[in-house]
Amino acid sequence: MTINIILNIILGVTLVLAAAWTVMTARLLRSVIGLAITSVILTIIMFRLNSPLAAVFELSVCAGLISAIFISCISLTQRLTDEQAAEKQKERFSKFWLLPVILVLAGVALYQLPITLDFHLPAAPTETDVRNIIWNLRHLDLVGQIVILLAGAFGVVALFKD
Amino acid sequence: MLSPLLLLPLLAILILNLPFRSLMQKLAVWVGVGLSLWQIVAVVLLAMGHKSADPWGKFFTLGLSCDNLTLVLLTSIGIVVLTTILVGWQTIGGDKQRFGFMNLVFVAMIGMNGTVMLTDLFSLYIFIEVTAVASFILIAFQRDTNALEGAFKYIILSATATVMMLLSISIILLVVGDTSFAAAGSAVRQFQGNPLVILAVGIFMCGLLIKGGVVPFHGWLPAAYSAAPAAASVLLAGIATKTSGIYALIRLTTSVFANNESLNNILLLAGAISILVGAFAAIGQSDFKKMLAYSSISQVGYIILALGCGTNLAIIGAIFHLFNHSIFKSLLFVNSAAVETQSGTTDMNKLGGLGTKMPVTNATSMIAFLSTAGVPPLAGFWSKLIIVVALWQNGLHAYATIAVLASVLTLAYLLLMQRKVFFGKLADGLANVKEAGWGITSAATILAAITVSVGILFPWMFNSVLIPISSFLK
Amino acid sequence: MTDSFILLPIAIPFIAGIVVLLINQRIQSVKEAITLLATGATLVLTITFCKENINLTIPWTGFGIDFALRLYHFSAFILVAASAFSFLFVLYSCSFMRNKPYLNQFYSYLLITLAMTNGAVLADNLVLMLFFWEGLLLTLFGMIAIGRPGAFKTAIKAFIIVGISDLCLMMGIGLAGHLAGTFTISKISLSVDSLGALAFILMMIGAISKAGSVPFHTWIPDAAVDAPLPFMAFLPASLEKLLGIYLLARISLDMFKLTAGSWISILLMTIGAITILLAVMMALVQKDYKRLLSYHAVSQVGYMILGIGTCLPVGIIGGLFHMINHALYKSCLFLTGGAVEKQTGTTDLAKLGGIAMKMPVTFVCFVIAAASISGVPPFNGFFSKELVYDAALERGMVFYLAAILGTFLTAASFLKLGHAAFLGKRSEHNENVKEASLPMLVPMVVIAAVCVVFGVWNYLPLDNLIKPILGAEHLEGLHMAPNTMLITVTVIVLIGALLHHLFAAKVNGSGYKASDHIRHAPFLEGIYTKAEKRWFDPYDIVLKIIQGISRFGWWIDRAIDWLYDDFAVRVTTGLSCVIKLAHTGSYSMYVVWSLIGVLFVVIMLMKSF
Repeated sequence: MTINIILNIILGVTLVLAAAWTVMTARLLRSVIGLAITSVILTIIMFRLNSPLAAVFELSVCAGLISAIFISCISLTQRLTDEQAAEKQKERFSKFWLLPVILVLAGVALYQLPITLDFHLPAAPTETDVRNIIWNLRHLDLVGQIVILLAGAFGVVALFKD
Repeated sequence: MLSPLLLLPLLAILILNLPFRSLMQKLAVWVGVGLSLWQIVAVVLLAMGHKSADPWGKFFTLGLSCDNLTLVLLTSIGIVVLTTILVGWQTIGGDKQRFGFMNLVFVAMIGMNGTVMLTDLFSLYIFIEVTAVASFILIAFQRDTNALEGAFKYIILSATATVMMLLSISIILLVVGDTSFAAAGSAVRQFQGNPLVILAVGIFMCGLLIKGGVVPFHGWLPAAYSAAPAAASVLLAGIATKTSGIYALIRLTTSVFANNESLNNILLLAGAISILVGAFAAIGQSDFKKMLAYSSISQVGYIILALGCGTNLAIIGAIFHLFNHSIFKSLLFVNSAAVETQSGTTDMNKLGGLGTKMPVTNATSMIAFLSTAGVPPLAGFWSKLIIVVALWQNGLHAYATIAVLASVLTLAYLLLMQRKVFFGKLADGLANVKEAGWGITSAATILAAITVSVGILFPWMFNSVLIPISSFLK
Repeated sequence: MTDSFILLPIAIPFIAGIVVLLINQRIQSVKEAITLLATGATLVLTITFCKENINLTIPWTGFGIDFALRLYHFSAFILVAASAFSFLFVLYSCSFMRNKPYLNQFYSYLLITLAMTNGAVLADNLVLMLFFWEGLLLTLFGMIAIGRPGAFKTAIKAFIIVGISDLCLMMGIGLAGHLAGTFTISKISLSVDSLGALAFILMMIGAISKAGSVPFHTWIPDAAVDAPLPFMAFLPASLEKLLGIYLLARISLDMFKLTAGSWISILLMTIGAITILLAVMMALVQKDYKRLLSYHAVSQVGYMILGIGTCLPVGIIGGLFHMINHALYKSCLFLTGGAVEKQTGTTDLAKLGGIAMKMPVTFVCFVIAAASISGVPPFNGFFSKELVYDAALERGMVFYLAAILGTFLTAASFLKLGHAAFLGKRSEHNENVKEASLPMLVPMVVIAAVCVVFGVWNYLPLDNLIKPILGAEHLEGLHMAPNTMLITVTVIVLIGALLHHLFAAKVNGSGYKASDHIRHAPFLEGIYTKAEKRWFDPYDIVLKIIQGISRFGWWIDRAIDWLYDDFAVRVTTGLSCVIKLAHTGSYSMYVVWSLIGVLFVVIMLMKSF
């Protein structure tokens, strides 16, 4: 039990750190890697919460699709020079100082305001075997994801191979 | 019979990208023509009832389904992809470039075929994304500032749409634990008053409206259509955005979102605003392709308007207009491609008097614009008539009036276009312009023939083809 | 003869039209032969149909919209008239249009126009009629556009004006169909109450604008100058009048129960009276043969609308009879205009004159037709106008006075036209003018002869053509005896017009300038300061008023023109500019729009629960 709690806390903290890094890093490519890491951690958390279907979705969306789109998008931009990168590095904290403040305020507001979201929803059916989910339930998505990766590859070839 | 529609293009991509590059680069166009023709044949076979024989069914059970709405869309996809390939053949120089273009068209084709055949919200999202990624790259294909800007705008707004659709899917997953249309539909009906479910419905719809380019979600559309290379704008305007936005909206409103009144009111309002804003903006454009892009927004407005009306007749009208629009708008973009490649510009102020130099383009563009404006007996007239009649029958007289009046505006701006580009005195520097190559003219002729024959055959088609479309509405 | 033969009057000209369009531009005679054959065949066919009653219904689109045709005496009569006019105009064009550009388009449009007219007349379903009606819009556009260079602008103007009134017709048809529950014309019977009145007025706008009434007439004088001349004789002068008045008669006699004394009747009569006066004022001061005629083509519609608007059997008979008569004499006048243009090369009255002896046949035809239009007994125009006067007097003195004043001014303007064009001093320019060729003379002579026949033996058309249209129940107690008092007034007015012309011509120096005193204000003052010194004071005031009205009319004419040409365009471009400004191209702005849209959608949805 305690191990589980400790693990959850570790995962939660890494998730927040990875997300923060994603937002605040100066180089876009690193940011994408940060996003991928974030989504992998999120996937693990979802597995641990007994929701493998959601986990598979998360994995395929973030680690697969969006990364492919972002990488092809980033390659359209110009690489920062080192000085620019250092500049960005400096201003990243000043840029985001509002963020924790907003977070705290939102938390307080949520806690104080009488917002009740207690509608009765049925528990989602659980499917434990990941292989089963990926191969038997979501194989159409698999085809789609393969095609998206292909499209990303063609995009890089068509737009950047000179 | 269904899974090959998805897997054959995929197989084609894989085989074409094997070694023997130079051979494959020559083959690619023929493969594309073959695939699109095969798709049309397959639709005919499917329509005649050959549903059982699925040779690949043993290996791939992809959970695809097919009803009459799907068949209509598959036909349009086949036709528009064929014309795109013909135009691309002619307009995109260099074997390598053309090869890349064809590959992307195949990817878009897979995306669109998948979108119309699947039955699951999450898969829908994935295949919409497939089409979108192919579209991004196609828009940016020319790599100049305009193209990159257009692509960038589309990526940004498309990402907004993606976020909204994913959020909506996650809410539905939370509620029922499944994302198939049937499950989602029952969930929406069951938890009708639940704010979370309403939120899910609302933002999914908005995501699709962004994809479809409906006012006020249309910001990306003019830049994207006009910046894309000629052949790609045929694909985008003709079918890509219609499939990923409008088809999905039709499918979801009829089978997932409960048929509720405020949803319909929103659609009606969005449709009417799109019609008017698109038409007025089109009048003020001096760029040929930009004008067509705004015209596209206006025509999509008709479809949304009919969808908002919600009766069976209105939905038939919406689907028929979707088909017609994919034909005549592709035709107009094919004509703009002809003008662009031959004269080197799409600025209508610099064009003029091309009618005598480019007779085929002139004649087909005339047909397309008359059909768009809803002049009988062309196809566009009938679909608009059905929409107006349905609106009127349902008591929505104000919207019916807007629909009728806006077709005057349509006539006005397209007449302006026709006049500036094709009629009048030959503009300076265009003395040596010739008719476009056979790829473009044959594509234009095919599309014009379809518009005219659908229009003329309509009285016979109405009972035997159009009415049965509504069978998918239970 | 089977019922489906009724399709032939539509099919023959249409197919011939397509064939002519496809034939090579160089083989003129083949095209002419095909066109003549097709119109001739249609004419023969419609004459054989004349006494039949046929109903044909083919299922078409559903929603109660069938391909329904109905042939009965009224539609049969219009069919014969349309086909006969087409045949004669084609004959005329064979000579007039020879070696002009766009010949295949001209003949093709002419044939398709005939097909569409026949279709619109035969249609027994409002939507089907609208279908043919819109087809006419396209051929109208095409016919004007192939005129002289620069005609395109006029074509656009005609297209917009006629398009807008067709739109009104469309809405009227939708409303009428909605109220009656059916689109079948012969089954519709509506009263003219609130919504019914709206439907009637919308459809009426479509009908009278096709006929060319004020305020939908402004394209006609422009087209007179720009379009090929046979077009003017063909469409605005005859076919469109037939069609417009046919529809007006159908809606006010069959589809709507219109009664004398209803405000709609007053409205129609007012439109008629205003049309008569406004257009004739404009006609009087024109200096161009064709333009002058085209304003009369507008003015005479006023008599038909006035006649039908009275809702009295006499008036309706008079209006319909005037429709036939007008089609006859006005097309004859246009044909003489064409002959003059072809032979002398101009239609400017300043350059014409003294050619009566050179072109005697044309001149005689012109005199007959001009006497007809001015209402000189015993030509046909006299009798139809008398009937209209009779009915107008019964409904109100004002309308009668308007009609008789119109006659005075019509007579004055035709005296001026005849004087300036055919009589007077011959200029050197016209020394070598010859009579027109035979194919051009035949239609003129035929039509002029019919004018005389319909005048002297006026019971022939009245008993055989017009009265059956109304049906027996309308004709009871109808007195058709000529009213001696009215005839006397008419004759006095005509003599007055003659005296006025002679006087004016003498004072102004020539027939060409006979109306200058109305047109040019300084010249007007020049004459009438002299006149004041004598004993002419009251006349001066009247003329000043007339001039004021004329200027007012001109102002209204321009205002209407501005409404079509400028205002609509400005509003549209203004809105367009606003929308264009909103599209700045900034993607962040677009994202904000989208998010506002999302917010709106979600709030709308949430509110409903």
